[in-house]
Amino acid sequence: MKRIVGYCLILLLLTGSVAMANSFFPYAYTKEVLPNGLTIFVIPMESPGLVAYYSIVRTGSRDEYEPGKSGFAHFFEHMMFRGTEKYPGPVYDSLMTDIGADANAYTTDDYTAYHLNFAKDDLEKVIELESDRFQNLSYAERDFQTEAGAVYGEYRKSITSPFALLNEKMQDVAYDMHTYKHTTIGFEADIKKMPEGYAYSKSFYQRYYRPENVVLVIAGDIAVQGTLALVRTYYGGWTKGYVPPTINAEPPQTGERSAGVTYPGRTLPVLDIAYKGDRFNPDNRTYVAALLLGDLAFGETSELYKKLYIQEQKVDILDASIPVKRDTPLFEIVARVKKEADLDAVREAVYATLLQYQTTLVNARRLEDLKRRQRYQFLMNLDTPDRVAGGLARFVAITGGIEIVEKLYAAIDAVTLEDIRTAATRYFVPEGRTVVVLKGSLQ
Amino acid sequence: MKAMLALCLVLFLIPAAMMGGQPVDTRAFVQLPVKNDPTIAFRLWFKVGSQNDPKGKEGLASLTGQMLADASTTHNTYAQVIDRLYPLAAGYTASVSTEMTIISGRVHKDNLAAYYPLLMDAVLAPAFLQEDLDRIKSQALNNLETTLRYASDEELGKAVLYNEVYAGTPYGHIVAGTVEGVKSITLDDVKAFYKTHYTRENVVPGIGGGFDQELIDRLARDLSALPAGSPAAVPVAEPRTIEGFRVTIVDKDAPATAISMGFPMNVLRGSREWYALAIANSWLGEHRNASSHLYQVIREERGLNYGDYSYIEHFPRGGFAQMPPQNAARRKQIFEIWIRPVPREAGYFALRAALREFNHLVEHGLSESEFALTRSFLRNYVLHYAPTTMQRLGYALDDRFYGINGSHLETFRKMMGEITRDEVNASIRKHWQFGNMHIAVITRNGAGFRDALVAGTPSPITYKTAKPESVLNVDKQIEVFPVPVKRENVKVVPVGEVLQR
Repeated sequence: MKRIVGYCLILLLLTGSVAMANSFFPYAYTKEVLPNGLTIFVIPMESPGLVAYYSIVRTGSRDEYEPGKSGFAHFFEHMMFRGTEKYPGPVYDSLMTDIGADANAYTTDDYTAYHLNFAKDDLEKVIELESDRFQNLSYAERDFQTEAGAVYGEYRKSITSPFALLNEKMQDVAYDMHTYKHTTIGFEADIKKMPEGYAYSKSFYQRYYRPENVVLVIAGDIAVQGTLALVRTYYGGWTKGYVPPTINAEPPQTGERSAGVTYPGRTLPVLDIAYKGDRFNPDNRTYVAALLLGDLAFGETSELYKKLYIQEQKVDILDASIPVKRDTPLFEIVARVKKEADLDAVREAVYATLLQYQTTLVNARRLEDLKRRQRYQFLMNLDTPDRVAGGLARFVAITGGIEIVEKLYAAIDAVTLEDIRTAATRYFVPEGRTVVVLKGSLQ
Repeated sequence: MKAMLALCLVLFLIPAAMMGGQPVDTRAFVQLPVKNDPTIAFRLWFKVGSQNDPKGKEGLASLTGQMLADASTTHNTYAQVIDRLYPLAAGYTASVSTEMTIISGRVHKDNLAAYYPLLMDAVLAPAFLQEDLDRIKSQALNNLETTLRYASDEELGKAVLYNEVYAGTPYGHIVAGTVEGVKSITLDDVKAFYKTHYTRENVVPGIGGGFDQELIDRLARDLSALPAGSPAAVPVAEPRTIEGFRVTIVDKDAPATAISMGFPMNVLRGSREWYALAIANSWLGEHRNASSHLYQVIREERGLNYGDYSYIEHFPRGGFAQMPPQNAARRKQIFEIWIRPVPREAGYFALRAALREFNHLVEHGLSESEFALTRSFLRNYVLHYAPTTMQRLGYALDDRFYGINGSHLETFRKMMGEITRDEVNASIRKHWQFGNMHIAVITRNGAGFRDALVAGTPSPITYKTAKPESVLNVDKQIEVFPVPVKRENVKVVPVGEVLQR
């Protein structure tokens, strides 16, 4: 440990980059922030000649605050593959093909991630190509319009899922002011109009694809200093210019809401019960406790799961989601119910469970089991460069770094039985609740 | 290899009854040690799959697998199993394919002592309780009757294609089975299926990561408690010859049109011709990759859908996976083209566009530059097929299935330096053909789609936005591209009847 600290100081003095040692995250890593604000994390790890390269843009569907622009962050992700003047789309594709890279991207509510896995010998080529498209993206209006068709295709293939429809409804009903009101893929009406948004897309790029808003996470079979030197060379000239979006805070909810949605086809009914929660913050003890509460109360070892899923077999899905979000999230409990007649009973059972957690302390052994499970799950999922970089992406997007992981797991370790009860009491209240029930049009 | 052959002969000569209680021979294990791996991966391969489903009990292999992995054991109720696995952050699952069943799980070394007996119980001491079967059956039926029929048209299209191409053979139903098959399955069916197929002669234990010899020996001893017996081999599937284009249209109120098409293929991985075809196939339609030519033509240039790919091996759950699956190995393969949902008005056009590209490839082969680029691509791309120990262990088991001496993935890379363009084009001519193929379409107005197909009606396409002249010129050829279909070769099936029996 001392040796590592000493090494850190030397590195800091020499290069401005900082090597980090941890107690929980199993890999030592180095962080550097370029003068233009671009943040880089380099994480060397044992992997057979492979490198994972994540460019995380801290912009997602949350940032789509202008009316009619829902789904644009995701659409723009597609445009990032349309090339630059130096490397037009087909040339970019052909170079990626030539090196056999596994290259793709995804968009979420809070961020957009561009990720590649490739052989270590191709590191410089990848850094050159990635830095080029982040600084010099260039596409014709015609290509922009064609890509809108592919996005509509993605919507079409996804919307046949009842859960897509349910999420769309839930977000729309539960939020009034915040952009979480729409899903990441966006409203269909906005997707239809995407081909008209060429000029807007240029402005989107200019405002959000800026170094201060991007973090690189590079993991795998790499040398730290060589990698950083390449990043400095290729990204150093990227100019600042991030313009933060104007996002309305969601006002506190003051009354219960409910809605129904009809799925065109056959499905088991789905009950979605959501409560307004708190944004991600490991310093918020009650929020951290809620992360555990979801699993304790509704996970597979919970009493309710055993009753409804295993014994009575009234539901074939019961799950809780306590997400890690930049702004006010929904803490959701979802149950797929086998018989429509049981919907009310299942809903009441969920409420009764929450009441029980508000009034009674959870079994200490179960809490310890869950903490242990969380630690091992985290560790076991860090076995490839892609999983390391990908697993950190959301934390990077929300906080700008990966240091928070240490803090989060320390906070999880410190959660007490009383904290769990406080979380149940603070968040799971009727006035912050929205209930959506989905049923099929065919029986 | 020679030693193994000798061992096989010896085993063959000893009657099964004499082997009771003998440890499973550790030489039969597939081992993948990884020195610094803090975890251990188990993949216990039982040589059984949906091809072993008795007639009228389609889905039995799948349900039996789940009755091991998601149900009670004689020592623990299902709820207790979950409770005990929970703090270990470990579990186990059953993955059933056409010919293979894998019970797999992964655990951190710290938790091995608590985990291992639970895994062994799942395989050796299933309780086979009626309430577990009720739960699992109800999920299986919901999957067929609502999820597949209504919630994912592209997965439905593939299911219909797989069933049709191998109709009348043991491959002729998907692993999930049929509605009537699943409904008819009883606890006695599951018990009998387990007794017949989950035998010590029928298991190949795979283990990877940071294990030691002691664990291998223990596993060999413990698996000897499996019932004895060598189930009769299922004959190799012999599909009927497809003559001309045969079409199954599933009629439903679909928001878009999903298309899958293909024909049986006899080339298996390990053979040089397979690697030659892998180059041709990767160029035509590498799964979920922009390098796919079909993707370029249908999505990138025309914006008609989300992606278009092709396959030379069975690729279940393609919509959910980025890379090829492990342990879906089969003795007979399928060539497949997958067109993700397109707007209804572009359905026939997209079908023609894909077939026109395929026909061109069959007639002309790959050009030198296409060949060189794809070969270069695959040499590195296959590195991404199996980055984890668990995945590499899966490939190692598949190597055993296919009788590959060494590693398929290493052979794959090596072959990219050896195979010539002439070999690729010769393999295309030998194994691919244009005119005889099954097509599965999921669409609204199935009768209308059929009539247009049979009449060969032109299918012009209009775009809402400008397209280059070059694209529009090709469109004129696509819209009249001949796909000769006879009326008697088209079935239109209401969605409520598909996967029924």
